[in-house]
Amino acid sequence: MGGSIVGERGLARRVLVYGLVGAVTLWLVGPFVWLFVTSVSHQKHLLVRPFSPVPPEITFDNYRMIFGLVRFHAEGQAAKILPSMLNTLIVAVVVTVLNLVVGTTAGYAYARFRFPFKGVSLYALLFTRMLPTIVLIPAFFLMFRTLGLQNSLTGLTIAYCAFTLPFTIWIMKAYFETIPAELDRSALVDGCNRLQAYYRVILPVSGPGLVAGGAFTFMLCWNEFLVAQVLNTKPGTTTLPPVIAAMNAQINIDYSVIAASGFLGALPAVILVLVFQRYLVQGLTAGSVKG
Amino acid sequence: MGAEPTGAPEALSVERAGRRRTRTALRPVVLSEAAFAWLLVVPAVLGILLVVVFPLVYSLWMSFTEVNLLRATGPAIELFGVRLPLFRYVGLENYARTFADPVYWSSLWRTLYFVAAFVLEATLVGLGMALVLHERFAGRPLMRSLLLVPWSLSRVVVGLLWIGLLDFEFGALNGVLHRVGLIDGYIAFFKDGFRALNVLVSVYMWNQAPFATLLFLAGMQSIPEELYLAAAVDGAGYWRRLRHITLPALRPILFLILVLSTVNGFLMLDLIYVLTMGGPGQDTTTISWLGFQTAFSFFKFGPGTAILYTLTALCLLLTFAYHWLVLRRFEAEA
Repeated sequence: MGGSIVGERGLARRVLVYGLVGAVTLWLVGPFVWLFVTSVSHQKHLLVRPFSPVPPEITFDNYRMIFGLVRFHAEGQAAKILPSMLNTLIVAVVVTVLNLVVGTTAGYAYARFRFPFKGVSLYALLFTRMLPTIVLIPAFFLMFRTLGLQNSLTGLTIAYCAFTLPFTIWIMKAYFETIPAELDRSALVDGCNRLQAYYRVILPVSGPGLVAGGAFTFMLCWNEFLVAQVLNTKPGTTTLPPVIAAMNAQINIDYSVIAASGFLGALPAVILVLVFQRYLVQGLTAGSVKG
Repeated sequence: MGAEPTGAPEALSVERAGRRRTRTALRPVVLSEAAFAWLLVVPAVLGILLVVVFPLVYSLWMSFTEVNLLRATGPAIELFGVRLPLFRYVGLENYARTFADPVYWSSLWRTLYFVAAFVLEATLVGLGMALVLHERFAGRPLMRSLLLVPWSLSRVVVGLLWIGLLDFEFGALNGVLHRVGLIDGYIAFFKDGFRALNVLVSVYMWNQAPFATLLFLAGMQSIPEELYLAAAVDGAGYWRRLRHITLPALRPILFLILVLSTVNGFLMLDLIYVLTMGGPGQDTTTISWLGFQTAFSFFKFGPGTAILYTLTALCLLLTFAYHWLVLRRFEAEA
């Protein structure tokens, strides 16, 4: 009940609450649903006025073109969607795994132990979270050019770790702080050494934290646009968001085709977030992360 | 298991953050604990030094040089056969040119407007949604999931999704408004500069406000129920309970949200790329867009990094504010 309006019962208040909930729902998912509606519409129907929220005819041609089953005006651009999705998937998975391995151990140390430079390095971590990531890109551009990592997924993976690692450490630190230290202690009493206490006792009960950190990292990588846009310019080397943005910038491509690409590209992250919503919310509110 | 394990001194040294123990007798154990902790931290610290700190310093150096991307001769750092050019040092010239440029200043004022409007909108809408979702209604868990939909989308998708709603020709919003008779002619949302800037604010708010809602909801859940019951006994209505119980209790979270959304507002870049490209004219050019464009459209890395570093300085100031907040929260917990 809390600070609730419906505390004092009454039909009017109930109607008000459900009306507000309806409005919030429309605001949150309406635009995304409309993206799907446009993606299964013909462009000519989108232009029809007076406006109708229900398309007169549903077509999956845009999706079929992305999968190479039919060909029409945007087939060249549409053919890039699936390969770039694969690139995105590879980078996102590798970065997530690296983050979980490296970031989790660091988060554990920050949550449990006192050690020299702990305060300073925590400060530094907070600082890197507040950086405009774009300021690093000129440096990455030149570094990767000398190392031959331009237009490579390796380079992108390295760059993404720079942006995600501080978050992961922070989320994991906050999560480990919710696990009672008695658990470590009793593991040590039972004859584990410190490392064993960590990976035999603490890690197995850290599932929710790992899910939160992993899902968040994956989402950041899956959605990242600017870095990929700037560093991987050669065709075929980039990730999904730059490909969609390029389609969007082309005047001769139907909006419905772009909408289909966007919807398909958004789906993995949206599903991931919805599935792991409970853990994510827990992890993010504990770590108070910037989104 | 639950008892104090006197037989194993090292077990004592495991401690929770913030809680301090007196352990004068355990000096060597403390050292080995620190060594172990460092072992765990080192991979992450090395990684961050290599992929954050070094690029950061290198970019900063670039802002004091004349970067010639085509001819990278001259001084360079050479490590393991890798040669990173250092370019020609020009002192503060890039900064001087930046501050002499009226476009920089007009972009700065525009950025400040953007940030202020964004923070206000995101906080108010975020709080409003939190108040609604905190009510009791059927399907509340589902709503909390749906809350994350706008936030989990790539900004590229956010941009093109709002094009679908706001476009002059096929936009659904124009269609709906026209059909219900609220407008006679269609609205060109991106033609007028100031309107385009405000559209950017609102679209970014749509994407980011759910995160504020998330934090507000977490804060509301931690308010003890008894406070509301007592207030109800005293006959306090909804608005008075909101003003005297809910809002004061949310103050720390509110401050956190203000700082986070201010930083996010300063850094917003990708939506500008997808929706307006800084135009019409320069009307949606913010500092971050100006820096990005200077560096990557015109490939002037020197002036570009200088502009971006003025932005970094602003964010740094905010980080101090943020850290101050976090420190205060830690002290409150201890």
